[in-house]
Amino acid sequence: MVKTTQVDLKDQDLLGALRGFFKAVLEREEISAILVPWRLPMKNTVMPTLITDPQQLDRADPLSPGFAINTARVVSRLTRRASAGKVVAVMRPCEIRAFVELVKLRQGRTEELVIIGLDCLGAFGNRDYFRWVGDDAEASTQKFYRAVLTGSGAAMDGVDLSRACKACELPTADGADIAVGLYGVDTAQHLLVQARTPEGENLLGKLGLVETQEPPGRMKALEKLVAERIAFRDEMFNQTRAATDNMEKLGTYLANCVNCYNCRVACPVCYCRECVFVTDVFDHEPAQYLRWAERKGAVKLPTDTLFYHLTRLAHMSTACVGCGQCSNACPNDLSLMELFRSVAHRTQAGFGYAAGRSLDEKPPLSEFRENEFPEVVGI
Amino acid sequence: MNRKIGKALVVGAGIGGIRAALDLAETGYGVTLIDRAGHIGGILSQLDFQFPTNGCGMCKMLPLVERDASSQFCLRKGLFHDNIDIRLATQVASIKGQPGHFTVTLRQTPSGVDPQRCVGCGMCQAVCPVEAPEDFNAGLSVRKAIYLPVPHSLPNTYVIDGSACNGCGECKKVCPTEAIDLAVGRWGRFRILVVDDEMIVRESLRDTLIEEGFTVETAESGASAMEMLAAESFDLMLTDIKMPGMDGVELITAAKAAHPDLCVLMMTAYATVETAVEAMKIGALDYLVKPFDPDVLIPMVVKIYDAFQAAADYKLEVGAIVLCGGTGFFDPAQGKNTYGYGINPHVLTSLEFERLLSGTGPTGGRLIRPHDGRPVAKIGWLQCVGSRDLQVEADYCSSACCMFALKEAMLAKERAGGDLDAAVFYMDMRTFNKPFERYRLKAETQHGIRFEKGRVHSVTTDAATGSPVIRYVALNGDEHVETFDLLVLAVGQRPPAGTQQLAEMAGLAVNSWGFIDTLAFHPACTAARGIAVGGSFSGLKDISEAVIQASAAALESSRVIHASGGSLALEPSSTPTFRDVSRQPPTVLIGVCTCQNRLDAAMAPRALKALLGADPAGDEILLVDGLCTAAGWDKLEAHLAGGQTNRLLIGVCHPYLFGRKFRELGRRCELDPALMDAVQIWNVEPASVPAQSRSPFRADLSPLRMGLARVKKSEPKPVADVSVVRSALVVGGGIAGMTAALSIADHGFPVVLVEKEGVLGGNLRWIQRTAGGADPQGLLAETVQQVEKHPHIRVRCGNRVTASWGEVGRFTTAVENAEAAVETIEHGVTVLATGGREAPTRSYGYGASVRIVTHKELETKLASGELNPGALNCVVMIQCVDSREEPRNYCSRICCTASMKHALHLKEKNPQVSIYVFYRDIMTYGFNERYFTEARRAGVIFIPYEPAGKPVVADGPGGDGGGLLRVTAMDPILGRPIEVEADLVVLATGVVPELPFDLSNAFGAETDTDGFFAEAEFKWRPVDGLKEGVFACGLALSPRSIPESIATACAAAQRCLRILSHEKLPAAKVVATVRQSLCSLCERCIETCPYHARSLGPDRDKVLVNVAMCQGCGDCATVCPNSASVLLSFSDSQMLDVIDAALDRV
Repeated sequence: MVKTTQVDLKDQDLLGALRGFFKAVLEREEISAILVPWRLPMKNTVMPTLITDPQQLDRADPLSPGFAINTARVVSRLTRRASAGKVVAVMRPCEIRAFVELVKLRQGRTEELVIIGLDCLGAFGNRDYFRWVGDDAEASTQKFYRAVLTGSGAAMDGVDLSRACKACELPTADGADIAVGLYGVDTAQHLLVQARTPEGENLLGKLGLVETQEPPGRMKALEKLVAERIAFRDEMFNQTRAATDNMEKLGTYLANCVNCYNCRVACPVCYCRECVFVTDVFDHEPAQYLRWAERKGAVKLPTDTLFYHLTRLAHMSTACVGCGQCSNACPNDLSLMELFRSVAHRTQAGFGYAAGRSLDEKPPLSEFRENEFPEVVGI
Repeated sequence: MNRKIGKALVVGAGIGGIRAALDLAETGYGVTLIDRAGHIGGILSQLDFQFPTNGCGMCKMLPLVERDASSQFCLRKGLFHDNIDIRLATQVASIKGQPGHFTVTLRQTPSGVDPQRCVGCGMCQAVCPVEAPEDFNAGLSVRKAIYLPVPHSLPNTYVIDGSACNGCGECKKVCPTEAIDLAVGRWGRFRILVVDDEMIVRESLRDTLIEEGFTVETAESGASAMEMLAAESFDLMLTDIKMPGMDGVELITAAKAAHPDLCVLMMTAYATVETAVEAMKIGALDYLVKPFDPDVLIPMVVKIYDAFQAAADYKLEVGAIVLCGGTGFFDPAQGKNTYGYGINPHVLTSLEFERLLSGTGPTGGRLIRPHDGRPVAKIGWLQCVGSRDLQVEADYCSSACCMFALKEAMLAKERAGGDLDAAVFYMDMRTFNKPFERYRLKAETQHGIRFEKGRVHSVTTDAATGSPVIRYVALNGDEHVETFDLLVLAVGQRPPAGTQQLAEMAGLAVNSWGFIDTLAFHPACTAARGIAVGGSFSGLKDISEAVIQASAAALESSRVIHASGGSLALEPSSTPTFRDVSRQPPTVLIGVCTCQNRLDAAMAPRALKALLGADPAGDEILLVDGLCTAAGWDKLEAHLAGGQTNRLLIGVCHPYLFGRKFRELGRRCELDPALMDAVQIWNVEPASVPAQSRSPFRADLSPLRMGLARVKKSEPKPVADVSVVRSALVVGGGIAGMTAALSIADHGFPVVLVEKEGVLGGNLRWIQRTAGGADPQGLLAETVQQVEKHPHIRVRCGNRVTASWGEVGRFTTAVENAEAAVETIEHGVTVLATGGREAPTRSYGYGASVRIVTHKELETKLASGELNPGALNCVVMIQCVDSREEPRNYCSRICCTASMKHALHLKEKNPQVSIYVFYRDIMTYGFNERYFTEARRAGVIFIPYEPAGKPVVADGPGGDGGGLLRVTAMDPILGRPIEVEADLVVLATGVVPELPFDLSNAFGAETDTDGFFAEAEFKWRPVDGLKEGVFACGLALSPRSIPESIATACAAAQRCLRILSHEKLPAAKVVATVRQSLCSLCERCIETCPYHARSLGPDRDKVLVNVAMCQGCGDCATVCPNSASVLLSFSDSQMLDVIDAALDRV
């Protein structure tokens, strides 16, 4: 089903080619708007932006290492109910995976949406990026993608990819309607554009692009990249598990948490309208605090810190896509991504589930199988 | 709650009795449920695993309507329902009256232990010196003379086995609650005084009577007799006439004056008979002429005892009676061929083996030989022991044993870890219920059970190992000898003890094997109106069938009670009003039972204060000595009524006993029982504590802390309800649909009956006769007439259902007629009786020759005269056409009996005709077996075939499809191919359902892999859909005979009546709700709800809960991440507080 085409570059301008491609898409009559990472006019910050005027696409920056927020939540808002027109969203693979989870949780719909996904070159942590980007964002982005695509690595100027990106073994946009391939492609000359769904094929067919074959080196390049990522990931799992394998260690691991709940605000799949931890469920009676203090002689306030993280793990680890926005959002630099990915890896494997892999797989807790986990349920 | 005037008696508290009682209770009738055993559950209390799920799940029978009227826990342990009065160790003594107005006398057998006092501590059995075989473990283990009848009952009180007890009194000495009364022996509290001046007479009489189990005292003179009568109470006096001093007549005069109720029996020498006759005028009941034989004395005393006992009998007025007496089993030791049972200890019955597999069994569930503890590597199951055996006068199949054996073999395999050789020796593997063929396949392919077709000839013993050795002849004639570690005999059914007496009392007939006779087409009805039969009482059934039969029996009872004017009319409404406490801060009255001052009343308040801390909600503590007593409860009630508290928490020994008491208390004190709770603070120490240091009264007050945390935050909101459109829609106008419609309409509820054909009747229209000779056309005509004339039934023939929305209480269904005009019908319940049809086939050359016909065609052609039996020379019948193999891997259950019916009919009309039946397993289950026997007697030849070697039908002489047919097959007995020239080949193609997806889907009903209606649960809810309010019956449910279809229709109707009898279905206090402001509309709760109780609102902006369908399981609350979905009475903050209280150290 994969229809493979290519977009040729002018003057080796990858960004320009992508912008041209996006313009061609937006100019289609059936497309109402396109959501892309876009440089804000007032600052060199890249944010998801909904664009209807093709001219505005000159500020689109889909290859920037800036990844301020996970777009999945924005796309969820755009698609939750039937809208007036079809929207194209340009997303990173982890954003697509998060969106897939949100669709399964009825927080978004795919009916009037076309997803364009790019091979992800990775991103810096927010603080790193804002420090690094400087005044010439165009040049910064070019420097970044050239370094990554020529194989010299993303580490530059004292910053490097976030740990979440370094541990990401899913850098391609498998869940997109249209996937843009960069790894293993001669990006000095052209980029690869593949339709992965009938919806994508329908749109791509109207753009009149040249059909081509996937270059033979692409698979190999990806395999190499993924192998490195997995090695990093597994080492990260080992370290994290060693640091959290009992309640005491876990308490130490999370000791700097101030219950600001930024991590769950930043988390793309934490979809509750209001988190249970800010509802009246945790409005303990004043006498209760005294009883707790009395029982142990000392009680840390606010309480429920460990409980909060464990609850979030219980609720969301099967939906965790590893985007790392929790760590990004933490004011106190807790290694939350590491913890979530380590746990999620096991919980998802336990249910034979991979978050964001397919819209057809039901979330584990929404599905009842009679013969499951006999070692746990004992029958 | 809606109490109805009608009342029913259910005899037998096995699953059949429980199902019938619950059905009637849920419908609103009062039910008295009795069992002669000291526990409920019948045989299932001994069976931990049941086919075809190999698990239990009895709790699925718990009420779904008005859940709070019943306790919600394991039904094997106990049943507590507001409308059900359970009387154990009780039997029927007499039945009088007529349908709708029976007077029943019930007699309780005293157990010697007062169940009100016994706390189940077990100190008595620790000291009891007498051992007896343990019935619960089928005699494989021993227990004491004072014992627990089952280990898991609630409440679990000890009983004394009067026949084993030696009366030593050790138990009475140690009993801490003085619960034991040894005088209450076999003859209850019946005390005899023997008065005679001759010591030898006195003492020999005393000994004789004591030997019989009576309690006897003696006196040597009239004067001392009068003294004893004054000091103690006696029920019978045996007195001599000629005594020095005060003589017998004087004694009687004086004794009767002082004790008018005393019975007197005279003993007299021949010479004074006239005096004795005189004495009878002044009050003696009878006389004995000396010297007399004990054989004369004892019956006379027993007669007096019976008359005495009758005064203590309990009289009950009921409208109808359901007999669920269960089943008895064949004792192989009594058979002509014992199969080594009773001789070789390694030969067990199936029930004994079942206990061997049980965790509460003699070996704790370890699979070893019970007799010598040796490991088990090889087990053989011998089927049909005492069934299908003319030698033991059992010309019937016991229906359940094949599946029972498969289950045991599979469980044994699992238990043994796979290294077990498990072989089943059978004649026909009878897997005739819907899921059973696949169950057999699983046994064979997944578990490696070995199937050996053939009847075992004899069992001997291996001299070296003592192991049983069997000798059998395989199909091909080879003789085999095989040694097993254990043999399990599939013992057949027998009528349970007492069936004959009960039948006589109730005026019922029994069939030639002693089972209760039922009406030809109505298996739950007897010839005596108002007396129905449920469960296995009219013949052994698997659980699913027994439950269907029980519900059908409940329906018949309900119908009789209703017809006699008793029922379903509400008593004047007494909906309780509760005061509104929602705006008050919670204040809890904590009632603590001090259990006969075992809790130090002086210290307790301080201890409780320390325990409960400074919680302002738990300030009011009331110590009560004996909350289980009426006085104690009154004290609590007075305090609650007079005080300011708005919650109640009690600490007791048996919290589950207080559900009903809370509801009554709530009514009187106008306090919602949802705001009351009981916790267990008095414990019986576990058996692991040595008996001598064990105390039955260990108080642990800490549960009060958790109870306080919970009750404090209980929801004071009134529970919602769902209003009911009190009418039914029945889809399908065959016999099942018509029966269901009539059954509902007879209770006064309107029914719309939709039939897609132009006429009513369905398959019944072409069935001319049954194997038993009953008249289906008569049934059809009668039923159609009843339906058409019924004032409450609206028949819509030639119509079909196009769409339906809604849930229990209110469905809206669109029905379209032939002219495409649509009518919208509102109804509260739905019965799918869409039927089935004979399966079409292309096998065996069907269609190529007019001589190849199906059963239906044969029946039709015989009826029309198109086929003349006299013109036939040879008929071949082929069974299991396209059946019992994928994709239709189920037995259609009716075809074998149908073949017998046709074969016998053809033989009757033309004795010269040769009939050959090619079969795989003959499925003439139950009493149908006799037709198989008759067919063989009539000369019908039965030839088995394997699916891999099916018979081949080809054109024979004459050719071209019009001439004879040649059937060739391999005869496994002859071991060579055979060839039959037939002028008729009859194919048994089986039954396929007619339940289109669109239709089932419209009502939210699910279908199984074969397209039949998927029951909520095969065993326990066999006619319910998982979605409440949708039921199925007849062939849409599974292949069935006419009476079996009628039974399902009655059962489905009964399930409907539970709902229709309510104007509003009240929710239980534990139901789910949605906090809309928190809800993210992810719909996970809707997906996860197993009862389809949740839906998205019409504007898709909120999640709704149908509180009548919600069963309070809490799945929705579990999947909801931010507790927008809440289970009332189990809110997060409540549970967090409870956990906190549990973890709190004192």
